[in-house]
Amino acid sequence: MNNNSKKHIIELENVHVSLKSNVETVNILKGINLKILKDNSISVIGESGAGKSTLAMTIAGLELISKGKIFFKGVAIHDLEEDELANYRSKNVGIIFQSFNLLPSMTALENVNLPNQISGVLIDDKKGTELLKSVGLKKRLNHYPHQLSGGEQQRVAIARSLISSPEIIIADEPTGNLDKRNSEEVMKLIFKLQSDFASTLILVTHDETIAKQCNKIIKLDNGLIVKDE
Amino acid sequence: MNNFKFWKLSIKELRGSFNEFKIVITSIFLGIFIISAVGSLSENLKFEINNQRSQLLGGSFELSTTYQKFPQKIKNWLEGNGKVSEVIELRTMLSSNKNLINKRRLVELKAVDENWPLIGSVSITPNQTLNQSINNTNVNGVLIDKNVKNQLSLDLGDTLDLGDSRIVIKGIIKKEPDRMFSFATFGSRVLLSIKTLQKTNLIVPGSLVKYKIKFIPNKNNINLSYLNKLVEGTNITVRGINSSTNNFNNFIERTSLFISMVGLITLLISGIGISNGVKGYIIKKIKNIAILKSLGAKNIQVFLIYLFQVMVIFLLSIIPALLAGISIPFLLSPIISSELFDTFQATIFFKPIIISFSFGLIVCLLFTIIPIASTYKIKPIQLIRHAAHNIHNQSSKKIKIFIFFLIFLLSYLTVIMTNDIKLSAYIFTSIFISFIILSALTNIYFYILKKINFKIGSLSELVRKSIISKNSFSKTIVVSFSIGLSLLISLNIIEESLDNKISKTINQEAPNHFLIDIQPNQIDTINKLASSSKDILFLNSQPMLRGRITEINDIKVENLKVNKDVEWVLKRDRAFSWTNERPKNSKLISGEWWKKDYNGPLLVSMGDKIAKGMNVKIGDNIRFNILGRNFEATIFNTREIIWENMNINFIFVLSESSLTNAPHTWIASTTSENKEINNNFVEKVVTKFSNISSISIEESYKAIKSILNLLIIIINSIALITLLSGVIVLTGILDVSKKDKLYEIAIFKILGASPKKISLLWLYEYLIIGLMASLISLLIGCLVSFILLYFVFNVDFYVNYLTLIILSFIVPTVVTVFSFFKMIKLVLSKPLQVLRAHNH
Repeated sequence: MNNNSKKHIIELENVHVSLKSNVETVNILKGINLKILKDNSISVIGESGAGKSTLAMTIAGLELISKGKIFFKGVAIHDLEEDELANYRSKNVGIIFQSFNLLPSMTALENVNLPNQISGVLIDDKKGTELLKSVGLKKRLNHYPHQLSGGEQQRVAIARSLISSPEIIIADEPTGNLDKRNSEEVMKLIFKLQSDFASTLILVTHDETIAKQCNKIIKLDNGLIVKDE
Repeated sequence: MNNFKFWKLSIKELRGSFNEFKIVITSIFLGIFIISAVGSLSENLKFEINNQRSQLLGGSFELSTTYQKFPQKIKNWLEGNGKVSEVIELRTMLSSNKNLINKRRLVELKAVDENWPLIGSVSITPNQTLNQSINNTNVNGVLIDKNVKNQLSLDLGDTLDLGDSRIVIKGIIKKEPDRMFSFATFGSRVLLSIKTLQKTNLIVPGSLVKYKIKFIPNKNNINLSYLNKLVEGTNITVRGINSSTNNFNNFIERTSLFISMVGLITLLISGIGISNGVKGYIIKKIKNIAILKSLGAKNIQVFLIYLFQVMVIFLLSIIPALLAGISIPFLLSPIISSELFDTFQATIFFKPIIISFSFGLIVCLLFTIIPIASTYKIKPIQLIRHAAHNIHNQSSKKIKIFIFFLIFLLSYLTVIMTNDIKLSAYIFTSIFISFIILSALTNIYFYILKKINFKIGSLSELVRKSIISKNSFSKTIVVSFSIGLSLLISLNIIEESLDNKISKTINQEAPNHFLIDIQPNQIDTINKLASSSKDILFLNSQPMLRGRITEINDIKVENLKVNKDVEWVLKRDRAFSWTNERPKNSKLISGEWWKKDYNGPLLVSMGDKIAKGMNVKIGDNIRFNILGRNFEATIFNTREIIWENMNINFIFVLSESSLTNAPHTWIASTTSENKEINNNFVEKVVTKFSNISSISIEESYKAIKSILNLLIIIINSIALITLLSGVIVLTGILDVSKKDKLYEIAIFKILGASPKKISLLWLYEYLIIGLMASLISLLIGCLVSFILLYFVFNVDFYVNYLTLIILSFIVPTVVTVFSFFKMIKLVLSKPLQVLRAHNH
């Protein structure tokens, strides 16, 4: 497959991320160059502290870079203001966290509808309900997070990440808090929906078996890409 | 089109969080309740007064004159043009010899004719008419009020001496329709008929008697200016229903203003509680905020979501506070009906509701805007990194401008409420300066704590580090408690200093008794009686007459601009004395005393401070009206008047002139080291001359002290309320920091600390915080009380160390005990469970 013939949805040029504390400056990413094709899935693997989540959150616009450039469909996002980044996220990015991050005071359906409510495009519950049905939570629409199991909560988070039909789905260790059976089900669901929605998936994982299901694997070590296949 | 409905999201996000707002709700409730209750009550009273002002005045107009009866011509005119009722008021001694115990009391006699009252009715126990009790009795029937009954232990049917006649108690006055405005009454009430008064022979030339006529005209064109023209050239004063109610309205306004200020200050102090409550809430919501932002929420959207939540909580707290406030007049209506008005119908007024609501809203916004704005600083990346447990109040320029705008609005609203720019400015400046001093002192303490070091690993070092740590709330606790305690300490010092001053004056400087209404022909006998008694050290006697200043340097008093603190001198009749001999112990400030044989144009010696307040000096002319005649005197000197020594002090002392021959009375003061001999002397005088009244300085002091005590109780209660707001703040902080403390305790336990050691550490930490608040309060309390005593009260600073020590221990005790009981459960928690829960 000729990569140049397809459009890159994300491009990273010499991206550095440093965190300053009172005592020292920690360099988490030390010059990442990466191009991600549209509709592809890419897994990011590596040891703890290698910078996997930071790389994913940098693409999500949640982590600010200290040096380098990031482009989304050719448009620079590294110099966007905070509110512009929020806008970029709400329209283009769906995020699935390891610890689900659902709002405890809202029902499953309300949590799913949240991104559309924030961006002001929520008209009715139809799409949210459909998404919850598609992740197997038809009977759990009005349940609160504390009334759901870990696997169910993560399914709600997956549905929420797709509500705004984002072009990029970022999943940060989505199975980290789940048992084996739930992990498998959740991953199946993520790949299926990525394919159904024609989104680009960026998957952060420890699990090489899961990683292999993606179109591309990159391995990070000490803030640098050591393997790109 | 962005269709973001933040309020919908806000309500959803608020679910299940109401418990977090307990402190905020209590804090808002307290301040708003006080302001709305006082506002509603005062509006209701003013409304009722306006409705019943004719009855409270006793007619459409009241004409009054001192010393002299009404000219027959005027009386005839009034009788020919409407309904008229005549009233005579004077003070006298009433003595009872019941069960052979001799008791005397100064009372206010009110003699009325058969037409009284023109409006309303008098209520008597047992139920009877005025005709039955005082008008048509052959036995000189009188009615007395509850005070006279209690003071002289009188019962119905008792007989006692009044002047030259014997009177019989026929009943107790429950309600007197036109007594409302008599705040200046010196004694308790005795009501009798004019006929009975005449039989007592108490009125002799020069007696201080007030003659009044209540008048309801039968023609519409008879108004205040018409009547003022009628009495022109006499010393008769005319009051209409509007001018009569002004005093009482002012009284209500001043009282309600004072209490409203207390409400506002409580609200401002509670603001610290509100601010901490919201800060704690936002801290708990850090994760939710990060989630919202990770899903694309903009800063302004998050800000609006939480602002809306706070506004919902504000409404939930203010509505019950307003309801409770406006229900106060309804709840008090039975008492108001029985004590003040015949019929009192409580009503809901919107002005106090709007004012209280606005105050609440502004204070709520003022104290919550900074913690809400701190949501700007919360980053979505905190979701994958360990989120901080504290937020930092760094506000943007926009927020700062908004805060200044709110402070301006608050000041503006205070000006509307007080109708007094000076007072509002004074209040806000005082609050501002107090906060600056408080904040400076707190910072100095924390700076010292940061700089000192104890032995590594020692208990003191652990406590020191915990207090100064970035996430500690100790500074807030110190500030919250210091406000109430500073107030309590300064009040206590002022009270003790005033008490000390008064006691000193009573024991060393003040006379024992005053004798008043002495006739000129009686003064020689009294002087002889005094000189025959070796133990009467000093009898100071001076002639007096009452009159009114009409012009100064040819400018009418109503057009004069004088300082506010001396306005009272020009408002009513004042006592004038005269002598060619310089009064004993008087200290001249400017000029000299006139010669003993001076016989020229009238000269006057004036109180120095009063002269300065009126902007007059030696050589200026004062015109005054005494007994209907105008006199003009030139200021010859000014004297120092020390009111606190309670001696006879006349503002105006004239040179001897034709006035000496006018009907007048004398006033005398007696001083003796031996109280009993002094009392015997006074008893002899008042028994010999029934027209003379005596006033015991000690008893007056007791009366003043009881009023002062009441005021002190009220102000101390306010200080206690502010201390309570400190407890509210502490509760909030303990709730907010519970999770962190629990984690900290678990770590300590895992590292081998026993619950006993952890408790000790805890107690030690909060004891230090409490002691810091005490030390700061002691410094501020002493400073504020010293400034007030020195500059306002002119009284020496006096401290009762024992009370001060007790007060200083209140806060450390409250803080330590309260926090200990609140946290004892945490100390007993199982560490592993806590750590597991924390890591999830």
